[in-house]
Amino acid sequence: MRLLVVEDNEQLAELLTKGLQTAGYEIDVLSTLEEASAVLRTTFYAGLILDLGLPDGDGLTLLRDLRHRNNPIPILVLTARGGLNDRVQGLRSGADDYLVKPFALEELLARLEAQLRRPGSLVGSSLRIANLEFDTQNRQASIDDQPQVLSARETAVLELLMRSKGRVVSKKQVEDHIFGHSGEVASNAIEVYVHRLRKQLSERGAKVQVHTIRGVGYLIAEEK
Amino acid sequence: MFRFKSILSRIVFLHVVAVVITSILMSLALSWLLSYATNNIHDKAMQEQAVSVGEHLRALPDGSLELKLPQDLLGLYSQPYGRYSYAVIDGKGRVLFSSLGDHAALFPADTGSSDVEFLQQRRGDATVSGASIKKTVGDQIVWIQAGEDLANRDVLIDDIVADFYRNVGWITLPILLVLLIADIAIFRRALRPLRQASEIASKIGPTRTDLRLPTEEIPQEVRSLVSAVNRALDRLEEGFRIQRDFTADAAHELRTPLSILRTRLDLLKDEKMSEALRQDVDGMAHIISQLLDIAELDSFVIDPSEKADLRSVAAEVAEFVAPLALAQGKDVALLGVDQPVWVKGSPEMLNRAIRNLAENAINHTAPGTTVEFVVEDNGTVSVADHGPGVADEEKNLIFQRFWRRDRRKPGSTGLGLSIVQRIAELHSATITLENRRPKGARFSLRFMPLRT
Repeated sequence: MRLLVVEDNEQLAELLTKGLQTAGYEIDVLSTLEEASAVLRTTFYAGLILDLGLPDGDGLTLLRDLRHRNNPIPILVLTARGGLNDRVQGLRSGADDYLVKPFALEELLARLEAQLRRPGSLVGSSLRIANLEFDTQNRQASIDDQPQVLSARETAVLELLMRSKGRVVSKKQVEDHIFGHSGEVASNAIEVYVHRLRKQLSERGAKVQVHTIRGVGYLIAEEK
Repeated sequence: MFRFKSILSRIVFLHVVAVVITSILMSLALSWLLSYATNNIHDKAMQEQAVSVGEHLRALPDGSLELKLPQDLLGLYSQPYGRYSYAVIDGKGRVLFSSLGDHAALFPADTGSSDVEFLQQRRGDATVSGASIKKTVGDQIVWIQAGEDLANRDVLIDDIVADFYRNVGWITLPILLVLLIADIAIFRRALRPLRQASEIASKIGPTRTDLRLPTEEIPQEVRSLVSAVNRALDRLEEGFRIQRDFTADAAHELRTPLSILRTRLDLLKDEKMSEALRQDVDGMAHIISQLLDIAELDSFVIDPSEKADLRSVAAEVAEFVAPLALAQGKDVALLGVDQPVWVKGSPEMLNRAIRNLAENAINHTAPGTTVEFVVEDNGTVSVADHGPGVADEEKNLIFQRFWRRDRRKPGSTGLGLSIVQRIAELHSATITLENRRPKGARFSLRFMPLRT
């Protein structure tokens, strides 16, 4: 899968390329708005990683231009400007996600994966935490490479948690994911599914833990 | 020395002084003019009397002079009446005729004097004032004197002088006072644009550098000052802008190398070393973010129409900090009401305030314990920990910038709580800090609830 990185700092561009290549992506690097704008008209990329402070202008211009031309390419913005207005402006201009420098490579990869797996994007690959793996294409969970059989609801909950690795999934998100917007949900239904999933995972030897954050939601993490 | 605080009081004071001086000088001038005029009338009358006495002088064939006054003049100069008198003196100073009993001259004879002279002379206890004219009768030159006893002066003229203050003098003071009042009104009106300008000026501050003083209605004399102030404000605004830009540029300059460092560490083979270094970099990045937050808050203008759901902001923060807490073996929980709680304020700012309280609480709470967020429907959000609590003498210190209880403790900048306080100030929110039993601290922020 080929991504375009637009970053004017050579060192950072080089390191990003290295990190992203290690994660299995193919990378092209450009350093100016003009080049990026020209290349994006002729070449298809699965995603764009865009720095905002570029030598020939503000990355937001390119962002607006792309969205104006109805280009649906997933865009992850990198910026040193973390102020309130910068953030709001970035997202309003059509960025899909926003990372303030300095960021962890792992965080970048996670956000990228989340973007590339949006409905309509062409990616399918597996998510992994410790010895637990989830294949998003055939929705199959495996522990220590052994495929596991889980109920449809448990699978749905696990998929959502795995996709949001390192982040809290709110109870409302789980409800929407499992039941959609229609239908009445018993107040403790989600807790029941999470409880069952937790039990299944621990019985089958998965080295992960599903945390309940009271009043907030759930989070899956490696077992300590 | 007494100093006036306003231009108006200074003008009024000086004006009152001017009115008092003017009314005194004006009365003096008027009374001097009046007495000058009455004296003039008196002198003219005396001169005319002397002339009319002179018309009745006749030279006899033997060379002597004869004075035959008609009846009306005789009555005027009769002794019992005693008011007017006359005398005729010849070239040698001898008194030829006199209406006085002792046949004396009214004034000392001065045969060298000119045609007309006005003289005054004390006679006994009376003062006689009058005129002396020179006349040639036949071949003789005589001086005819006519005088009036000032003690019996013309009643009419005396009345005018005496009545002057009663009838005319008093009117100058009220006229001048009316003028004073009119002037005060004029001054106030003239100063009104200045008052309006100062109201605008009082709103100018680090958060409102865009305001300028209006120059349209400002009087010309002050306009150059106002324009100069406006130009000074332009330069100040430019200074503020440069500083803000500098902060943004500095952030960019610092954050990009930090990103490079962070990414290098992520790619490092030595996991243990890389983890330790990563924590250092994250600490540094945290300080930079908080410094930028402070810089941004110092120039932040809150939109009065903005509103935020305190409950969902608290949930966002809890979601954000939960992974950090779990990584340290600590937990977070969101308690309190389940419904939205709408308050006045910027959601992003509220998020930052609660996040700083949460990070502070997670840092201080004991491992294995839970940091509790509680949202109440009166617009209060509180964050409680199970840490050592805050000593009474430190309760005010902890909100100061860069204050830290233990300077050696890593991961704390001493900026978090000052950010919370600044955001509370911007939202007119109150911060309360209380210690919990058996241990721990609870920070509460109370915002202005919106009734829907």
